[in-house]
Amino acid sequence: MPGIDECLLEAMVLPGARGAAVVEWTSGLALGTVGDSPNGDHEVTAAETAELARMAAEHTAFAPPETNGPTGPTQQGDAGKGIPVEDVIITTRTGYHLLRFVETTFDSSVFVHLWLDREEGNLALARIRLQDLAERLALI
Amino acid sequence: MSTTVSPMLVRLAAQRATGALLRDAGALYLVDGEVVHAESPAAPGIDILLAKGGRLPTERWQEAVDRAGAHHRVGRFLVDSGRLASGELEICHLGALFDAAFFALAPGGGPTRFRRGAAHWLGPVKPVRAEAVERETRRRRELLDNLWPRPEVDSAPVTPRTAAGTADITSRQRAVLDLADGVRTPAGIARLLGRPGFHTLIDIRRLAAAGHIETPRASAPPAPAPVPAWVADVSADPDIALLRRLRDALEASL
Repeated sequence: MPGIDECLLEAMVLPGARGAAVVEWTSGLALGTVGDSPNGDHEVTAAETAELARMAAEHTAFAPPETNGPTGPTQQGDAGKGIPVEDVIITTRTGYHLLRFVETTFDSSVFVHLWLDREEGNLALARIRLQDLAERLALI
Repeated sequence: MSTTVSPMLVRLAAQRATGALLRDAGALYLVDGEVVHAESPAAPGIDILLAKGGRLPTERWQEAVDRAGAHHRVGRFLVDSGRLASGELEICHLGALFDAAFFALAPGGGPTRFRRGAAHWLGPVKPVRAEAVERETRRRRELLDNLWPRPEVDSAPVTPRTAAGTADITSRQRAVLDLADGVRTPAGIARLLGRPGFHTLIDIRRLAAAGHIETPRASAPPAPAPVPAWVADVSADPDIALLRRLRDALEASL
């Protein structure tokens, strides 16, 4: 059961990893960062990736209302685990950005952002490893 | 241009002080100048956040506080005893810390005092540099103002407007709107949902900007001062009385 920093350091072991962060998508707050940031400022990157993650988590194209179960008072407080989106992948000319949502039993809205070098990075491997990391981050 | 959110916080951080910074709107706990915890009535505490989602029932909290509260090691105890994963605790704790700090450092929160040596029962989990708390609090204020520059909605009872369509409402906003009854405040709704107060304010400001909830009038404009009696009297029969007074005044000044 790793903490935030251990989780980020494990992500950085992946081939081609250039930087990583744990971010709250509702607020844009970086809970932890490691390595480099594409624009030189981890906090700006966190706010920007949070906006992207929010779109994916909240827009009905990716998260139709039905998949969240019946709305109403019975669903209070579990929005964090109701997101049907698992990850978001952005490919640029020089890199990959992988945003992996973390499921928690409380209302948390957290994701892990991993920035990979396009040449050295292995997207498929990173996706599997990040899924495992995100699960262990919130489980005993 | 960056104005300081709390000059006292900056000073205490520089002194590497340990204790509690107390304001009317909340408290920040410092250890060696770093922020280890924060509390505010407007921000649901870590115990509420974890209990609401069903993660950690209130009895478990009580047990942890009874066993480790006196030694200020409740957070450590919850992880060591296998009740919480350390990642879970850190995520929830940091979320609650920045949330409460945002409200505690709000402008106009009354005088600031510092109780040297005071410690919180939770104990250090993941200390945060005071500059990071300052910067994040400033960023959050700007974020809210960019969404809908009407801070009145943050503390007023939330009143839904039925006329507006609901197609653009997200499921998180829907949960907030379902609890809006014209009586509950955003802080009350956050507590019921087990969500951080600031996250609820983001949804409140978005809902207000889209016209789904009422934005109260800024502050009622001050009632106009009562007019002098002669003006009120004049209005009863404006033409004649006013002209007579004007004539009298002119004649008197000749």
